[in-house]
Amino acid sequence: MTKPLQLATKAILIALIVVWSVFPVLYIVINSFKFQRDIFAFPPPVLFTPTLGNYFDLWNNYPDFFGFVGNSVFISICAMLLSVFAAACAGFVYSRYRGKALSATAFYLVAIRLLPPLVITIPLFPWVNQLGLADTHLILILLYATFWIPLNVLIMKEFIDQIPRDLDEASIMDGASEAQILRHIIAPLAVQGMVACAVFVFVFSWNEYVYAFIFTIQNAKTTPLVLSELMDSVTGTNYGVLFAAATIQLVPILIVVVLLQRFLVAGLTAGAVKG
Amino acid sequence: MRRLTFFHLLLLTPSQALATIMLAGPAVYVLWLSFTTSSYGLDPQFIGLANYVTVLTDGHFWTAAWNTFLIVNVVVYAELLLGFGMALLVASLKKGRMILFAVILVPYGISEVVGVLSWRFLADPNIGLVTHALGALGITFNWPRSVPNALTLICTISIWHQLPFTFVILYAAIISVPRELYEAARVDGATPLQAMWTITIPIIVPAATLAIVFRYIFAFRIFSEVWLVTKGGPVQLTEVLGTYLYRVGFSFADFGAAAATGWLMVIGSLLLTSMYLRSMYRKSFAND
Repeated sequence: MTKPLQLATKAILIALIVVWSVFPVLYIVINSFKFQRDIFAFPPPVLFTPTLGNYFDLWNNYPDFFGFVGNSVFISICAMLLSVFAAACAGFVYSRYRGKALSATAFYLVAIRLLPPLVITIPLFPWVNQLGLADTHLILILLYATFWIPLNVLIMKEFIDQIPRDLDEASIMDGASEAQILRHIIAPLAVQGMVACAVFVFVFSWNEYVYAFIFTIQNAKTTPLVLSELMDSVTGTNYGVLFAAATIQLVPILIVVVLLQRFLVAGLTAGAVKG
Repeated sequence: MRRLTFFHLLLLTPSQALATIMLAGPAVYVLWLSFTTSSYGLDPQFIGLANYVTVLTDGHFWTAAWNTFLIVNVVVYAELLLGFGMALLVASLKKGRMILFAVILVPYGISEVVGVLSWRFLADPNIGLVTHALGALGITFNWPRSVPNALTLICTISIWHQLPFTFVILYAAIISVPRELYEAARVDGATPLQAMWTITIPIIVPAATLAIVFRYIFAFRIFSEVWLVTKGGPVQLTEVLGTYLYRVGFSFADFGAAAATGWLMVIGSLLLTSMYLRSMYRKSFAND
C-alpha cells in the first residue's frame, strides 16, 4: 500500500473505533437535551433546540430518583473503602511472606471468584431475609466489596512487591512495628495500587445491576435498578426523562474513568497479566 | 523467611472472612441445596439427584444451554479478533495513543443498564439509527420479533461492554514485544504480515489465552443483557442459563432445581475453560 492510502485507512479505522466506543453513550446524553418531538424525528436533526425540560420532568415527576442516586453514592463509597482496606492488608502479607498455607489461601480467594454471582444468590436470599438484611445498604456494600477482593488482593500484592524490602528492614532496625511500617511506609508508597483498586470497586458498585435487582425492594435501590424500572415503564411515552436519568447515572462514572484511566490500566495489567 | 504472627492473621482476616461468608459459604450450601427439595418456608428434604434429573430433562434448560454456548463463543472470539486488530492499530500510532486508549475504555465503565438502554434505542424497530442503516443495506432488523435478531443484539451489547478488557490485555502484550525483533525480521527480508505471524502472535499467545479464559468464565454467567433486552422471551427462546436459573429459583421458587442449575453452570464453565487451557498448552509445547 502507498503511504497516503495507508494513512487514510488508518484514519477511517480510528474514526470507526471512536464512533463504536463513544457514540452509544453520547447519543443518550444528546437526546437527554432534546424535546420529545426531536427524539422521535427521523432522520435525527443535527441541529436542534436544546432543552432542560427532561431534567425538570425528572425532578418533578420522579423526585425519588435523586434519593436513589444518593443510595448509589453511599453504597459505592463504603464498598470501595472496605474492599481497598481488606485488599491492602492481605496484599501486604502475600507480598512479604511465603508459605504453603499462605499460597493455599491466595488460591482459595481467586478460585471462589470464578463462581457465577447468580449461584450464590440462591442461598443468600433466604439468609439475608432471615437476618433482616434484605433491602438494606449493608448487604449491597458487603457483596460489592467482596466481589472485588480477590482481584484487588492480587493487584495490591503486585504493587507492594515493587516497594523495596530494604525499607521494611531498615524500619525494623529503627524499632518500628509492622503496623507502623504498613501505615507509614507501605500505604503511602502503594497509593497508586489503592487508587486502581478503589476505581474498580467504585465503578463496579455504581453500575451493578444483578445483586441490586435481587436484594433490594425499595429502601436501598440503586440508580441502575431504578433506570431499568424506568426503562420498562416509560418506554415509548417518555424517552426524554429516561435519557436524562441515564445521563445523571453515567456522567460521573465517565469522568472517573477518563481521569483515572492510567490507574485502571495499571490495575488491569497488574491483576491479569502478571497475576 | 520470617514467620507469620498473630498480626498477619489479623491482616488476612477481613478479606478471607468476607470471601468465605459472602461467596464460599453460600456456594457450598448451594451444593447441598441441589440435592434437596426446598422452597420458601420449607425445610430442605434430601432427594438425591432428582433436581439434576428434572433440570437435565427440561427442554428449556437445553435451549438456555445452547444459547449460552452460542453467545459465549461468538462474544469471546469476536472480542479476540476486534481487540487484536484494535491493539495492533493503537500500538502502530505515533501520537494520540493515550486519547484513543481513553476512548476505547469508555464502554467498560458504563452500566449494563445504560448500555442496554442505548442499544435498544439504536436498534428500535421504528426509529433506531442502526435499524435504518441496516434497512438501507436491505437487511430487516426487528429484534422484538425475531429470535436470531434478539440474540445478535444481545451479543453486540455484550461485545461492546467487554471489548476494552480484551483490548487492554492484548495491547499490553503487543507493546511488550521487543522492537529489535521486528528490526531483525525486516533485515532478514520478512514482510510485515510474516513478522506479525512469526513474532507478534507467538509472543502474545499467553496473554490471549488468559483473556480468552477470563472472558469464557465471565461470558458464561451472562444475565443482565438478556434480562433487560428480552427477559428470555419470546416463550423462553432467548433464555440463557443465568435467566433460566433466576426464573426457576426466584419466579417458581424451586431452590433445589435452581441450585442444581447453578452447579451445572459452574461445571460447564470449568469444562469449557479446562479443555481450552489443555489444548492451548499442548499446542504451545508442541511448537517448542
